[in-house]
Amino acid sequence: MAHSSRSLKAQLLRHDVLLLLVLALEIAYFLNFARNFGTPDNLSNIVRHSAEIGLLALAMMPVILTGGIDLSVGSLMGLCAVLFGVLTHDLHWASLPAASLTVAAGLVAGAFNASVITLLRLPPLIVTLGTYSLFRGLAEAITQGTKTYRSFEPAFLQLGELRPAGLPLQAWILGVGALGFYVLVHRTTFGRSFRAIGFSPEGARYAGLPVLWRTALPYLLAGGVAAVAALLFTARLRQARADAGTGYELAAITAVVLGGTSIFGGTGTVYGTVAGIAAIAVLNNGIGRIPAVLKAGIGGELASLLTGALLLIALAAPGLSKLLQSVRKQSTLPASANPSPSPTH
Amino acid sequence: MKRSQFLHSLLVLPAAFLLPGCNKPETGASAENASGAGKKLTIAFMPKSKGNSYFINCEKGAREAVKELGVDLLFDGPTNTDPAKQNEIVENWITLGVDVMAVACENKEGISGALKKAQEKGIKVVTFDSDTTPDARSFFVSQATAQGIGEGLMDEAARLCDEEGEFAIITATLTAANMNEWRKHIEARLAEKYPKMKLVDTKPCDDQKDKAQQETTNLLGANPNLKCIMAICSPAVPGAAEAVKQAGKAGAVKVLGLGLPSENRAYLKDGITQSVILWKVADLGYLALYAAHALGSGALKTGDTSFKAGRLGELQVDSGGAIILGKPFVFNKENVDQFDF
Amino acid sequence: MNRYFRELSVAGALVLLLALLGIVAPQFFEPQPLLSRLTAQVPTLVLTIGIAMVMITRQIDISVGSQFGLCAVLAGNLLTGGLPLPLALPLAATAGAAMGALNGCLVAWLGLPSIVVTLATMVTWAEVLRLTQQGRFINLPAGVQWLGLSQAAGQTALLAASLALLAAMAWLLKNRSGGRHLYAVGSDAEAARLSGINPKATTFWVFVFMGALAGVAAVCNLVQSPQVDPKCGTGLELKAIAAAVVGGIAVNGGRGSLWGAFVGLLLLATINPALTFLHVEAYWEKAIQGAVILLAVVADGIRSRRNAS
Repeated sequence: MAHSSRSLKAQLLRHDVLLLLVLALEIAYFLNFARNFGTPDNLSNIVRHSAEIGLLALAMMPVILTGGIDLSVGSLMGLCAVLFGVLTHDLHWASLPAASLTVAAGLVAGAFNASVITLLRLPPLIVTLGTYSLFRGLAEAITQGTKTYRSFEPAFLQLGELRPAGLPLQAWILGVGALGFYVLVHRTTFGRSFRAIGFSPEGARYAGLPVLWRTALPYLLAGGVAAVAALLFTARLRQARADAGTGYELAAITAVVLGGTSIFGGTGTVYGTVAGIAAIAVLNNGIGRIPAVLKAGIGGELASLLTGALLLIALAAPGLSKLLQSVRKQSTLPASANPSPSPTH
Repeated sequence: MKRSQFLHSLLVLPAAFLLPGCNKPETGASAENASGAGKKLTIAFMPKSKGNSYFINCEKGAREAVKELGVDLLFDGPTNTDPAKQNEIVENWITLGVDVMAVACENKEGISGALKKAQEKGIKVVTFDSDTTPDARSFFVSQATAQGIGEGLMDEAARLCDEEGEFAIITATLTAANMNEWRKHIEARLAEKYPKMKLVDTKPCDDQKDKAQQETTNLLGANPNLKCIMAICSPAVPGAAEAVKQAGKAGAVKVLGLGLPSENRAYLKDGITQSVILWKVADLGYLALYAAHALGSGALKTGDTSFKAGRLGELQVDSGGAIILGKPFVFNKENVDQFDF
Repeated sequence: MNRYFRELSVAGALVLLLALLGIVAPQFFEPQPLLSRLTAQVPTLVLTIGIAMVMITRQIDISVGSQFGLCAVLAGNLLTGGLPLPLALPLAATAGAAMGALNGCLVAWLGLPSIVVTLATMVTWAEVLRLTQQGRFINLPAGVQWLGLSQAAGQTALLAASLALLAAMAWLLKNRSGGRHLYAVGSDAEAARLSGINPKATTFWVFVFMGALAGVAAVCNLVQSPQVDPKCGTGLELKAIAAAVVGGIAVNGGRGSLWGAFVGLLLLATINPALTFLHVEAYWEKAIQGAVILLAVVADGIRSRRNAS
């Protein structure tokens, strides 16, 4: 299995290359068949609308890479949004200190997840299932379910509309986030160990890696990023409500897995995640602009269905080809050379 | 090695943009009818959520108006009530170059920014069912004011209970903006006019009939003196009625709410539910579309005090830009069969 | 005692809560409303049985809520179209089993992670349901509610049937080799394979069974009122998983009992009515449920660390 002599076909069949092809196909198709898809306004809308989920997906990627998962990021968005509302409206703080404290709170929440998961060695799925309810529940309790915070400082609300150098602010933030996570995961020894930990935590520990601390960091970061996403969301929507971010955790996981990160941990790339985010965002936007779909008004449903199908195909393809290969191999072997042991009962 | 391969593959992306037939942005509703008074209007219509029979009926009325007026209709909305999604859809419509938008706003303040952007681009805006801030729209088509709905519900409940006793409210979710408006008015009316009545609890049912049934069962058990259940979200009305029936308290505990006659017909006839208040939902959609069309074609301008809306006749416009469909209608045992929605 | 520590401590918490209710709000125990409340939990119990089995096998299934909704709407529409009532249950179970088979194929034969597969199928079935039914209620024909029996008889029948199912499955898991296979595959699939169990087949069939149970649960829900709300399945997967987790089913597979999951369900399902009877505001519900789940899980973690050291 010499890497240097990989055939073109093998190179093309790599997950991230295929994903980029799908993305290119989507863009080409929508440019031709979807109304006003390629206009600068629409392109910037695509970025603005997917900024929060994009940030969550970037933060989710190292979590999944280390073999964990975080279901609580969407609920944390709601809690942080509400917290920001309380600070600015009930306590009359200015936007900047309120935003800083909100991000700090997000980090604290992430640290809570991190400590329960690493110190108590509990399965991340279950711990974050609990905090998924707890965070949302706290947000609802603080607002008594009903309170919506409106009328923020105009300077803060500008965040939703700013276009430094012509690109929406969200694009800059996503770019910085993607770069930051890329550097962390791929260019630091610290981050490179994520892959090792995800692949084999025990092996990593025997190799002398401080597994506990390194497994904790992604959850910590996820908490902080969820807070930033909450601030962006609040600025764009001009309101803070307890139900902010509902369902975003699943969308983030979808983008990460679509981008080639194995849910079992151990493999994955940040640029794959970015491609995953892009593929889903473009699909969501473009589908609804095809004239026939526009007339029928089923853009949202179709986008969800296709995203689900895309995810399944992306996951199934390598498995299917392996299955086909093994079937082909078995059929070419002579019966006597069949090495499979007869099971003992 | 992996990274450079990836970067090489990125080169594929710009190629997508250079493919032949790459479209230039189309401005205006359709590239063919480029000019003039004969241009077909494109009206974009957004409910609060698409999976809700109330808004499906609104859509029916709107489509009836579309046929009569000969306009192009774009219908879209979030699948569940989702203010973020509504904003995104509005922003997408701006880039599609629609002429008029008719929107039922889940979130008053939040959507105003997006609607104002639309207005800046020359797109006209009307709201229906739930309003936004007045500066973000030209007109608001309302089935009744929030105050009218809240007070109507409270007055009807008081009538059924002889103005004394305990009652409870079932709402959809604690965050639903228009229901919170109604609850405010219900509670205000309660404090103002009915000192002998008491609101003991308010429970959310997540817009699900079965959950409303369970919550009502709990309420009936926890509050033995409960005299009335007020269900203000439409799936909750049959749910609450079923709970009252199963608890054997039909008649002793009154049930009323905002709901569709078709979902409550059996309970009304059996006397379990006494009153279902609503309005002709399809008419609301019909009127909203007519208002949108009139606004888009210039027949309706700010400051007008009335306009004609097809088969609904002449309707008043108040100084705040609100066009009221009429008073809420009370469906009961006697008249429910006349309606099929 | 140590072996059943989790089940017993959850039961203990439940008893404490019931005692509190008995003191402060004794009308909680009035028989007829209590029967109604318990019967309302029958669909969730059936789902919990299935989810517990899936989790013991070290998988997860978050699509059961969508399966439930789709089966309910399918059965409802067929009943309205003239299907005889006795056929509703097998039909719904078959439809559910088919959906479960899709999950099973992707997870067992293609080796895809179950959380992602069931995420995709959950969204797919939910969208199909929305596109076809569009939120319209289904008015069921007369004679369907309570299976044509009186309310009390129908409720008792449903409750008894679900408890019988629980007892049967609990016994099967413990005493029949087919049941033990689930634990074996959940603990160590490779070791199971080497001892002659087929982990892929086991995994496949557990998803099929889960789907069938989703159909059964949908019918159990359907016969409790004269209308079907297409949104009836929303959020049920989380309820079932939370019940299983609180009741001691380990998400890493290989541990836990159905009776534990049952007690977990009872505890979590008591929180909502308890809030009403204790006159606590509704907006505390999610926070309390989240806290209970975390407490259960953290207690587990502390205990296992203490045992390990």
